[in-house]
Amino acid sequence: MAKKFNFIKGRDGENEAKIFLEKLGFKFVEANYKNKIGEIDLIMTDGDTLVFVEVKLKTGVNSGNPEDMIDTRKLYQIKRTAESWAVENGLNIYKQKLRIDAVCIVKKTDNTIERINHYKNLY
Amino acid sequence: MLSVVRSSATYGLKAVEIDVEVNVADKGFPGFSVVGMPSKAVDEARERVKTALTNSDIEFPMAKITVNLAPADIPKEGSFYDLPIAVGIMSVCRDIKIPASAYFYGELSLDGSLRHTRGVFLLALLAKENNVADIYVPRMSANEAATITGVNIFPVDNLKNLVLHLRGKKLIEPLKNIIQDGADDLITPEFDLSEIIGQEFAKRALEIAAAGGHNLLMMGPPGAGKTMLSRAVPGILPPLTAEESLEVTKIFSITGNIPPGGCLIRQRPFMWPHHTTSIVGLVGGGPIPRPGQISMAHRGVLFLDEFPEFSRKALESMRQPLEDGIVSISRASGSVSFPAKFMLIAAANPCPCGFLGDPKHECKCGLAQIDRYQKKLSGPIMDRIDLHLTVPAVEVEKLMKDNNTSITEKSEAVRLRVKLARNMQLKRFKDEPGIVCNADMKNKQIKKYIKLDNPSSLLLKMAVNKYGLSARTYFRMIKVARTIADLDKSQEIYEKHVAEALQYRVKINVD
Repeated sequence: MAKKFNFIKGRDGENEAKIFLEKLGFKFVEANYKNKIGEIDLIMTDGDTLVFVEVKLKTGVNSGNPEDMIDTRKLYQIKRTAESWAVENGLNIYKQKLRIDAVCIVKKTDNTIERINHYKNLY
Repeated sequence: MLSVVRSSATYGLKAVEIDVEVNVADKGFPGFSVVGMPSKAVDEARERVKTALTNSDIEFPMAKITVNLAPADIPKEGSFYDLPIAVGIMSVCRDIKIPASAYFYGELSLDGSLRHTRGVFLLALLAKENNVADIYVPRMSANEAATITGVNIFPVDNLKNLVLHLRGKKLIEPLKNIIQDGADDLITPEFDLSEIIGQEFAKRALEIAAAGGHNLLMMGPPGAGKTMLSRAVPGILPPLTAEESLEVTKIFSITGNIPPGGCLIRQRPFMWPHHTTSIVGLVGGGPIPRPGQISMAHRGVLFLDEFPEFSRKALESMRQPLEDGIVSISRASGSVSFPAKFMLIAAANPCPCGFLGDPKHECKCGLAQIDRYQKKLSGPIMDRIDLHLTVPAVEVEKLMKDNNTSITEKSEAVRLRVKLARNMQLKRFKDEPGIVCNADMKNKQIKKYIKLDNPSSLLLKMAVNKYGLSARTYFRMIKVARTIADLDKSQEIYEKHVAEALQYRVKINVD
């Protein structure tokens, strides 16, 4: 039951992030790409740069900051996944501007957004 | 976009030119990597450079940055690649021109200022050798290079100032050359010889050792003043000659022992390692060879207190450097030699309890124990020590006496005599490169410069036969006799000089 709740909540967060980034001028490409290496929450473009976005959502502050959940290991995993996505889509990663961003959202317990932060170029 | 900044790496006592190639590509994942055999400290330069640039109001580029330290087969260690890397990045993404004939060198602080960095002296020497016009170094270390002429030394405070300078907006004033005048005579030793009561015999031996650069061993019960005597030695050592000063400064620069703002080393080093020092700590070494204590004591004094407490291996490893004045360290990555012409002063107790042969105390050690203790002082090591002396405990009557009544000389007076003797030696060896004192002489020079008259050689021959002295000891004793004659301001060596030399060498009677 709890897992199902997390899943729904996560999707929710990704939607918030997508709307948030689109307001900043990003264009949506794909969401929830998944393969055996890992998962990418959002793939968008910012001008000519392809951006892979990791979305983290926390409700309440009792379980720590969403920023704490992103470490170098996670970033490496996203990078590997992104590379395989690029190969699948016939992109040469050495000829394309690429970036990894994160969107961290904190919600209050009544489901209203307390803060939403965008972090550019984490890797 | 690629830019190349020139810098240097040190390997052993030599500096090698290093090209720091910085490539900034805006395609691909942004990142920052360093290649070219960097050590951990070099690899961590990434974080320092990133933060220092940001804190200097220079935006760190969002791009894939690759730094190559070429030639890539030399291992790089140390933190001095921070500045060249930062300059390389700035030149690509900010409008900055790198001067073609310049070396950049220095460690960055997170706030963008430059920290004291070791090895600047060698960098300046390399710049001179390679006809490089300018060097950019941290201000705190810039003085090290100030005695080297023909190179413009730009002392850099922080990245902001450097950017202004390189854009030609606000120039950094190059450092004025410091002219190396006569060595500094002002030294305040920890102990003055006049503070030490009694022990006139030992003081005379120290004077001879200091005058000729001879090795010396003191043996005596605890509390006799061995340590105090040894630590008074810096006060009677002659000043470094200009040439020696350069040699010492090189070693001190490499090991980072020149204090911030320091210039040439003018005082003879006095190294005093603890007896737990390892072989590598003593003679040098490590994966990237570094000078050990014996090289740090080059042209100075290595004082080994509690001599037999040192590990046997560490002591024996000093055999070859004691003879040749050089340590060669071979590693898989290459071989390096460090100079190690030092004057050894060793202090030891005659047995583990310390009271063997003392008239007032009874020795509590077993025979086997004494045997084991004295075995540490192996033949080959003892053979290389010119002056052996026993330092007996001081009698209470002498201690109680008023200081004014005792006739003890000040260190300054002794130093004056030592200086005169050294000057005689310098004159004698003016045609021999690398030889500055009697102890430096090899057999060839002994034959060339030393003539013994008949009674002296007869006396020496008798002593060698009677006490079974080795050939090495024979030559070493001639050198000591030469020093004693020098102290006597005598051009010739007479019987009395040889006789005095002999009394420091004839085996110590411990029973």
